[in-house]
Amino acid sequence: MQKIVEVQNVEKIYGKASEKQFKALSDVNFEVKPGEFVGIMGASGSGKTTLLNILSTLDTPTSGQVKIAGEDITKLNNNQMADFRANKIGFIFQDFNLLENLTAYENIALPLALQNRPVKTIKPAVMSIAEKLGLEEILNHYPTELSGGQKQRVAAARALVHEPSIVFGDEPTGALDSKSARALMDTLTKINREDNVSILLVTHDPFSASFCDRILFIKDGEIGQELKKEDVSRAEYYQEILDSLGTFAE
Amino acid sequence: MLNKLALSGIRHRIRDYSVLFSGLMIASAIFYMFMSLATNQTFLSSNSPAAATSFIFGFGIVLLAIITIVYVNYANTFLLSMRQKEYGMFMMLGAKSSKISRMIFVETFTIGAISTVIGSIIGIFATGLVSRWIISAMDMQVKHFNSFYLPALLWTFVFFIVIFMFSAIRNSISLRRSKVLTLLKRDSQPVKIKRNGVLKSIQAVLGLILLAIGYFALWYAGTNPGFIYLGIPVALVTIVLGTYLTINSFVTAVIVMLKRNTNYSQKGLNNFTLSQLSFRINDYTKILSMVSMMFALALGAITVGLGFNNQIDNVVNGQNYYDVQVINPDAAQQKRMKSLSIKTKDVYNYKTDGKKVYYRASEFKKQPVGYSQIDTKTMISSTKTTNNPSKNTNAGYELMNTRLPDQRTMEVGFVSDSAYAAMNGKETTTVLVKTNSFKNNLATIKSISKAEIKRYPALKNAGGDKYSAYTLINGFFSGLEFMGFFLGIAFLAMLASCLMFKILSGANGDVKRYNMLYKIGTKQKVLRTTINKEIAVLFSVPAILGIIHVLMGLQLFTKILYKPYANIEIPFAIFIVLYLGYYFLTRYLYKKIVLK
Ligand SMILES: Nc1ncnc2c1ncn2[C@@H]1O[C@H](COP(=O)(O)OP(=O)(O)OP(=O)(O)O)[C@@H](O)[C@H]1O
Ligand SMILES: [Mg+2]
Repeated sequence: MQKIVEVQNVEKIYGKASEKQFKALSDVNFEVKPGEFVGIMGASGSGKTTLLNILSTLDTPTSGQVKIAGEDITKLNNNQMADFRANKIGFIFQDFNLLENLTAYENIALPLALQNRPVKTIKPAVMSIAEKLGLEEILNHYPTELSGGQKQRVAAARALVHEPSIVFGDEPTGALDSKSARALMDTLTKINREDNVSILLVTHDPFSASFCDRILFIKDGEIGQELKKEDVSRAEYYQEILDSLGTFAE
Repeated sequence: MLNKLALSGIRHRIRDYSVLFSGLMIASAIFYMFMSLATNQTFLSSNSPAAATSFIFGFGIVLLAIITIVYVNYANTFLLSMRQKEYGMFMMLGAKSSKISRMIFVETFTIGAISTVIGSIIGIFATGLVSRWIISAMDMQVKHFNSFYLPALLWTFVFFIVIFMFSAIRNSISLRRSKVLTLLKRDSQPVKIKRNGVLKSIQAVLGLILLAIGYFALWYAGTNPGFIYLGIPVALVTIVLGTYLTINSFVTAVIVMLKRNTNYSQKGLNNFTLSQLSFRINDYTKILSMVSMMFALALGAITVGLGFNNQIDNVVNGQNYYDVQVINPDAAQQKRMKSLSIKTKDVYNYKTDGKKVYYRASEFKKQPVGYSQIDTKTMISSTKTTNNPSKNTNAGYELMNTRLPDQRTMEVGFVSDSAYAAMNGKETTTVLVKTNSFKNNLATIKSISKAEIKRYPALKNAGGDKYSAYTLINGFFSGLEFMGFFLGIAFLAMLASCLMFKILSGANGDVKRYNMLYKIGTKQKVLRTTINKEIAVLFSVPAILGIIHVLMGLQLFTKILYKPYANIEIPFAIFIVLYLGYYFLTRYLYKKIVLK
């Protein structure tokens, strides 16, 4: 089966050759299969955001290869990267990043409009994803009129509406209370199962991580350990994560 | 410690601060430019015959002061929008709010003082440059004008120190009052658009009615000069209000309409642009109306100034039919005349016996003499020719001015060839030339006139030729024209920078939006086009309304100016070029702030 994400020998060094340099990622290798729900955990400063930025073409690796949906994204030019993000990737950010001057509906429709999809197809697509995420009632609201949890679900809808190959999230539950966090993770799990959407999340939070199929632990820019869910329940998996975090930190 | 932090904050945002500084410098430079003219009473009284001039300039000072205050206010908002997050953070970390408010006070005031001093120096140079340019481009004669004028400088300092004092106080109070959280989050607190269809339609209708009343008042005051002192204030009030209501209702209506049209709005970033605009328009209505009014006034000032220039031609052509007159031409004068593009050249001889002058009637049969006359009703001049100058006072007057001064008051006779030949008196030859265009031959005409005065010093004070009339009238109208130009350019520069600042002060809040659009896959090119479009709309709304105001406003001058709409494309072109310059500058700066 084709892989959705393939990362080979990726290295990221910040700072120009003349300045003080900092190696944020060294020799990172992993892959994500279609329909997988993968989490990335690690201490602050371990390189999670750096990795995610590279995967989502917002930044380029110093060396190594990244393939997404079979395409080597390190070889794209700026315009191709933009197109790639618009077509193949969905984003969920920690601070929602909705446009306050657009309604929920318009926010969700934005990626489709950006791709210049036929106008007739936009409404059905938005309505169907809104229904899945339970947003029908609030489509005409502006973001300021929504709660944090609702905002994040709108953001999730925006990340999913154009049926991307993979959805990236950088601490999507970071700004939510535990109840909203749980609702969001439930929704993402449902979408992952039912629609076979691949998801890659960066998170600090073991509870959110326990919804994943597999967790990669990253430390000082290197992937140190991998924890698969296999057949255990979510509660047990949560415990396993806590244990790993304890040992991994040492 | 905090001071050091604050300073390093400035260093990090040096680009934003340079925008702020240059903007404030423009403001004080323009204010100085205007004051150098407006406070110079000697200049005003020696260049304008009208008592209204002082009134107009007083009015101008008030207007410019208001704009400047609004302008500094926007610049100040721009400053606050940059700084509040940082100061909010200091407060969160435990800095006392009194300390913070003192810091913002010092910062605002220092920025104001530095930019006023540098701006005034720029203003002095700019005044010299602009005035020299206007004077040479328009062949003007302007007396008692100095680019450095101490009272103007002092006024500029006093005025700016006072408004910066107020801004500084305001900033420090507003920082002291705000909660830390609001400071930290201010960017993300959007204004909610109020949508009230009925109210908007009432506004639209009312706006149009007010505009109609205003335009009518202008037209009425133009045709009934007695009504001017009532008509102008009425027009000002109604047009200001009408503009405000029209922008508020119509522009919003157009945006809503475009948004509803999904075929348009759901393409690319159109919907985003429309939403940006609809949020902005609410916030911008006041400034857009102000800018469109100022735009109209500035454009009006230049148009009317140029109208006086057209007046020069009309009046000069009403004075003399012939462009050049030479008495007993010598070789040098003949040579000069050869380089004119001649339409008609008439040569008349006369003899004088010391009491009367005698022309040969036959010469006028062969070459009819031209003369000009002014219709006293329309003030429009026309030219005619006649074979019989003895029966025509206008032609007689024209001929009179072609003679030497001591022969002008003598009685004139037109005699037969034989009678003329029998006379003993000294014979004088006058060569009269009408060229294809007085303006195009001006340089040669001037040299011929100067040479004539050398040859016949009596002509120096008596004049009589067209060039002397031109010098006199040009001097008279140049002052007015110069004021119009100067006023217009100063106003335009001010209002366009006002608009620029208003737009730029929103830029900091837009950084996140554009960054997000970039992240979800919008190409840089598309982002740029979106920004260009948005700023283009914000610039064109006041420009369009302003142009309509001017076209209507010129009705006011139908009685005062000869053809107020003639050559209107010149001031419009100057304006559009300057205004476009501001548009491009704004969008360049905006993109520098918003895009990586
Ligand atoms: N633009 C940059 N220039 C230089 N160093 C950077 C840059 N961005 C990140 N770093 C460094 O790279 C390392 C990894 O940063 P990264 O943001 O990926 O961490 P993270 O795992 O996302 O942390 P957190 O959980 O706190 O968000 C850090 O030590 C950081 O200081
Ligand atoms: Mg991070």
